[in-house]
Amino acid sequence: MAKPVDLALSGLSKHYGRNVAVEGVTLRIAAGELVALLGPSGCGKTTTLRMVAGLVEPSAGEILIGGMQVTKVPVHKRNIGMLFQNYALFPHLSIAQNVAFGLQMRGVGKAETAKRVADALALVQLGSFADRLPAALSGGQQQRVALARALVIEPSLLLLDEPLGALDKNLRESMQVELRQIQRRLGITAVLVTHDQEEAMTLADRIVIMRDGKLEQVGTPEEIYSQPATRFVAGFIGAANFLKGTVASRGAEGLAIALPGGGRLLLPTETQEAPLVAVRPEAIAIGPADGPLPGNGTPATVEQVVYRGQMTHLYMRLDDGEPLLAYLANRDGAAPDGAGMRVGERVMAHWPASANKVVRDN
Amino acid sequence: MSATALPQPRGIAWPGRSSYVSLAMLLPGLAFLFAFLVLPSLVLLANGFMTQHQTGEVAPPFTLANFDRLLFSPAYQRTLLLTLKVAFVTSFVTVVLAYPLAMAIAYAKPWFSRLVMVLVVAPLVVSVLVRSYGWQLLLGNSRTGVLNWLLEAVGFGVTPVKIMFTEWAVVVASVHVFLPLMVLPLATSLTRINPAVIEAARMLGAAPWRAFLRVTLPLSIPGLTAGISVVFSLTAASYITPAMLGGTRGAMLGNLLEQQVTTAYDWAMGGAIAFVMVAIALGANIGATWLIEYRQRARLRASGAR
Repeated sequence: MAKPVDLALSGLSKHYGRNVAVEGVTLRIAAGELVALLGPSGCGKTTTLRMVAGLVEPSAGEILIGGMQVTKVPVHKRNIGMLFQNYALFPHLSIAQNVAFGLQMRGVGKAETAKRVADALALVQLGSFADRLPAALSGGQQQRVALARALVIEPSLLLLDEPLGALDKNLRESMQVELRQIQRRLGITAVLVTHDQEEAMTLADRIVIMRDGKLEQVGTPEEIYSQPATRFVAGFIGAANFLKGTVASRGAEGLAIALPGGGRLLLPTETQEAPLVAVRPEAIAIGPADGPLPGNGTPATVEQVVYRGQMTHLYMRLDDGEPLLAYLANRDGAAPDGAGMRVGERVMAHWPASANKVVRDN
Repeated sequence: MSATALPQPRGIAWPGRSSYVSLAMLLPGLAFLFAFLVLPSLVLLANGFMTQHQTGEVAPPFTLANFDRLLFSPAYQRTLLLTLKVAFVTSFVTVVLAYPLAMAIAYAKPWFSRLVMVLVVAPLVVSVLVRSYGWQLLLGNSRTGVLNWLLEAVGFGVTPVKIMFTEWAVVVASVHVFLPLMVLPLATSLTRINPAVIEAARMLGAAPWRAFLRVTLPLSIPGLTAGISVVFSLTAASYITPAMLGGTRGAMLGNLLEQQVTTAYDWAMGGAIAFVMVAIALGANIGATWLIEYRQRARLRASGAR
């Protein structure tokens, strides 16, 4: 395999008339790293990927692969491998011919082509399918052929455009693991586009959250989840409760914030204004309503109890009308905390101070 | 797949409870076709195997002499081969011209795609007579021919193009009118190709023309064969175009047939010519269909799917 190279995007933009698809994306992806572009549909993630591929011409900005300027290089000279959501295998060519295609375009000799095709098919465990046509294979097998076809040309970069989106859940999960193992083993730099946050978490070294054509936050899956920078990120990755109150007092340990619904928060920050605070549902615990008001907590009324197996989802309403969601872990499949709770019951929701994430409101 | 999940066959239910009603409704049309198409055709085709007597009647003894004359006597053989040549050249030129047009219709922006479509289909709405007179004006061998007048004005000498009343004038006019019949099935075939497949070829290192040859072209073969079979058989069967533009040098089987029946009063020979013309049209259609099915069979065999 060729030596892994890095990818640098600088001020990359794409405008369609007056519509802005991508605006000023600047990003550096290290050699051998797998980065996921994650966001809702229309956020510009696919357009960004297609600009890297050379399938869409940027309106502005630059693309550097391994330090080489490729912004103006045509698609077929970029040496990039790509997986498409619908696999895009050549329906009229056998599996072996599909994998050999890129090598034939490069003028590789017959004997070497045959050997490399066999190696690539062995890598994805489809050696015995060489003479079949794509239509005879299942979706998962087809995508593995597409992977072999993309990797056999020893690309400098692997682009994955929702590659597992058309597969059912179980197959998708096993393919995620396989894809990750192969990418790690070959040490190839890869960019994944997905709208599935679990897929991004499972596969990526780093996640790039995009919104309205711009980068919203870049970080490891853990950073993105535990330190969301904005309200959008906190709500897009996992679920979050958003709380906003007024400054009640300033002390040595930080800011005490009174919530309009009667609860309170303690924050170790020193802002003038009371910031927006996100609290993950799984951080919230439930206590008896007549207990003392905890450091971080609020009284609430139970509106709905949903048993989900490993978790019970508890939908509550604060006294000012704002919703509050808690995920209560069920041990041995039983719901200890949620067991006795009924709709309409008054409870005290509380959480540790470390669960308070200050986010930008956007 | 379970039996219940099988897709329902398209079209009318046949046979079913309503089959008698369907049959009754079909009957007038079938009877009309039988009386005025099938029967006369059979009579005409049968004439080809009989003898034209001096008395004017076409009757036994049965003979293959007409076919022998048509296929092996120089004058008739020349017309037969010319017909095949005109049909072949027209099909070839049409394919070459049709691909870019079909690609424009399939891939261009909607307004441009629609414009091309209108331009391509336009010749079909003009009557064949009007079209042929138009080509006579354009292609005239003298200075009054528009093309020659234009070329002379630009400095190509006096009447540089002399294709009027040759088979080439027939080819030009046939390409003009049959182009849409090639473009439309091709465009349909092209729009059925998943665009990601062509993008995949490009990303694997194929320059645009190689992606076309290795991916677009083979995947558009169903449209191509449909177009070729239609254009080939219609050109081979044409009568008015060669009569008006081909002259004596460009006369085709249709003109020979007319001449045999109306001038020579040789209905037996006419029947033989008609037989060969039908055979050419059927041959083109069956040949094209067989080609597609052969490819599909080969594909299935290769896939090991069933």
